Amino acid sequence: MSETLVPQLPTGSAEPAERAPTDWRTHSMQRRIRKRYAAERRFRLFGLAAVVMSAGFLAFLLITMLSNGIGGFTQTQLQLKIDFPRAGLTLDPQRLRGPGADFALAASGIEGATDAAATAQFGKDGYKLLSDGAWLRVREAVKRDPTLLRGVATIAVPASDAIDIAAKAQGTPEGEATVARLKAQGLLSTAFNPAFLTGADSTDPTTAGIWGALKGSLMTMLVTLLLAFPIGVLSALYLEEYAPRNRWTDLIEVSINNLAAVPSIIFGLLGLAVFLNLFNLPRSAALVGGLTLALMTMPVIVIAGRNAIKSVPPSIRDAALGIGASPVQVVFHHVLPLALPGILTGTIIGMARALGETAPLLMIGMRAFMVSAPERLTDPSTVLPVQIFLWSDQVNRGFVEKTSAAIIVLLVFLLAMNGLAIYLRNKFETRW
Amino acid sequence: MSALTLLFLIAGLGLIGWLSARVRAVSFRRDSNARFSSLPSHQGTYVALWTVLPAALFIAAWSFTSPALVTNRVLTAPAAAQLPPKGFERAAILSEARNLASDRSFGAFHPLAETLEPEYEAAQSYFDWIGSAVALLLAFATGAWAYTRVRAGFRARSRIERVVMLLLLAASLIAILTTVGIVASLLFESVRFFRIVPIGDFLFGTHWSPQVISAKDPGASLGAVPLFWGTFFIGAVIAMIVAIPFGLMSAIYLTQYAAPRVRRWMKPILEMLAGVPTVVYGYFAALTVAPAVRDLGVALGVSWASSESALAAGLVMGVMIIPFVSSMADDSIAAVPASMRDGSLAMGATSSETIRKVLLPAALPGVVGGVLLAISRAIGETMIVVMAASGVATMTLNPFASTTTVTKQIVDLLTGEAEFDSPKTLAAFALGLTLFVITLLLNIVALSVVKRYREAYE
Repeated sequence: MSETLVPQLPTGSAEPAERAPTDWRTHSMQRRIRKRYAAERRFRLFGLAAVVMSAGFLAFLLITMLSNGIGGFTQTQLQLKIDFPRAGLTLDPQRLRGPGADFALAASGIEGATDAAATAQFGKDGYKLLSDGAWLRVREAVKRDPTLLRGVATIAVPASDAIDIAAKAQGTPEGEATVARLKAQGLLSTAFNPAFLTGADSTDPTTAGIWGALKGSLMTMLVTLLLAFPIGVLSALYLEEYAPRNRWTDLIEVSINNLAAVPSIIFGLLGLAVFLNLFNLPRSAALVGGLTLALMTMPVIVIAGRNAIKSVPPSIRDAALGIGASPVQVVFHHVLPLALPGILTGTIIGMARALGETAPLLMIGMRAFMVSAPERLTDPSTVLPVQIFLWSDQVNRGFVEKTSAAIIVLLVFLLAMNGLAIYLRNKFETRW
Repeated sequence: MSALTLLFLIAGLGLIGWLSARVRAVSFRRDSNARFSSLPSHQGTYVALWTVLPAALFIAAWSFTSPALVTNRVLTAPAAAQLPPKGFERAAILSEARNLASDRSFGAFHPLAETLEPEYEAAQSYFDWIGSAVALLLAFATGAWAYTRVRAGFRARSRIERVVMLLLLAASLIAILTTVGIVASLLFESVRFFRIVPIGDFLFGTHWSPQVISAKDPGASLGAVPLFWGTFFIGAVIAMIVAIPFGLMSAIYLTQYAAPRVRRWMKPILEMLAGVPTVVYGYFAALTVAPAVRDLGVALGVSWASSESALAAGLVMGVMIIPFVSSMADDSIAAVPASMRDGSLAMGATSSETIRKVLLPAALPGVVGGVLLAISRAIGETMIVVMAASGVATMTLNPFASTTTVTKQIVDLLTGEAEFDSPKTLAAFALGLTLFVITLLLNIVALSVVKRYREAYE
């Protein structure tokens, strides 16, 4: 059988000869088809691999954070035996009720008593096994049940950082040995760590918490939302509904599109130069953070808002105009309510981005070490992503799991916001 | 009078204006049979706007001018004569006295601030009273004038709507103001920087070590070329080597091969990669990826593998960029007319041949535009490089070696405690300006490429 069934083109002739039909059964043709199909399968496999591996990166990231951070929510506890009558607390039991109780207990020398009890129970360096905040737990226990003061009480107190690490993961050899000894005596337990959710930053990982940073984040987000949402919606309305097409509105449009693509750190430089140096607003305050993030979020809201407004059909505007509504009434009574779900979706996505933003806030000094949650918008504060950044720099190993745990909290917030955005989009999606 | 009380009073005046004008308009309606263009509430709103807006504008202007007036008045006090004539210390004492006046719980660092504090308090309350009185009078006067204008047939609605339009316009001007603010603040500080350091030294110098800046020749240690190279190497080379194949192939698979169900699930999952905060990526890069990369480098026999390698930062950044590339590629592939694809398939080409020989070439401008946008995103990215890249500026082609980037240096320069006039701090703004210009150019080019291409098929 000949290899080629396709005849040679006759040279010199203007008209090509008529092609004979391709014989697909020839050996070479079959081989060629197999090759092409193999290439097709390979290509498809590459595509699948790309998708699976991209999703795999995400899964790997999440699993790493989860496995590192889940320990941050729990705490290793020591069963500490305290002999209160022997501890010699200078305490009037009457003062345990009422607002002065915390202070009275702190002044009574309960911190020393806690350390002394640990030394009595665990030997010379026993107090080193306890967290710096262990006496706070004893104080809470006494406040809850003052009868403890009459005898020997066993109270579960947080163990020190070294014990915590040794109990949860690989610790130092001596730490491991101590943990093994304590475990054998049944003195170690693991419990949920409320201080992580209610505490503020601390140099001691066993008492460090995220509430200060979380509150700072919420306050910053509030300022951002209050500024970016109205401004964003109003300018979207103007550009989409009223703006004449001229050089000025083109300029506004171009600058909004560009602002959406400006690196976020540039907004930090703007905040530093304008809000801090020009207007003398307080450094590292939630107010300035919110202002800076609002400038960053506004273009996102404008772009989302314009798309939502664009998708409201013109017939609705025409009908409203037809029965005598003015242009402003048309927009505020009819177009805006219909476009609002779309605008809200865009706003939530923009806010989620602002919530995860770190770099611009570093520029305006929101990296302060704050041991208490901020009270006012002008108080020095920090935010969750910056807290993560600060903890990630800590040499103390106990902060590794705290950092990952804070990341889990941040991701939960972001997922909730994105989930809400998707839910809103699906619920209010209208086909006109 | 505190600002809050003042605002409440003015709002109260506005409410009174609204109610009285409305009552008056209703009475007009009852008296005549004429047709009205405005509802009574429009008339009320008209008066209320005239009551509140001028006063609010005055308060805003006053809050900017009064601090200077207060300071001037304090300076005329006898105690102020002891102030040092000019310079940093004078400003420090004045601002301390100002802080003391507003919040007594602070302690005074400087004794003179203590003596100036009552002066400050007196001057402040004096100007506060002037401001409040003028604002209230203004609110009353303008409101009363507007009230006299309310009569039958007065077209209040169109006047309110003009105000609304102005408000809308003002809102959209904020975008321009922000852009101007960015450019002006970056330019202003950069000009101060370039007065100390020649622009040529900064843009073309190859030695970067801001820790030691010689007073004689500050430009010698502030050459930014290594930073530009590091930024380009991490953001545009290593990150794109990861992001382009993964992003492009994901887009192709999800648009051309995947079942709709798979696509519906996988697309949001991939988009989650873009939603993860960059500080999380940075932590991941520093904690997990960087040690792994160093071990890999050692295993490959690289003589000097750094734990702050360009590769670790670039790889993680590439993963972050995947969804940008894939959604841009997705859009531009979807924009290729179906007839081209159908034609190719009808000629007997397989799907992959169609994609490679027809769809991709047709979608290429869009894909290139998307890649340019992704690069712009990558070189402006901060947290990953701050946490995973090194601070040492080197020019190297070895991905296992350490490099630094523009954004990393901006953070390093500005988060130290440095006075605001040193070339070190100002250099951050010059770097910011360069970054802004580069990303702006990339964005403009990318958007125009994408736009022109879109128009070609419609």
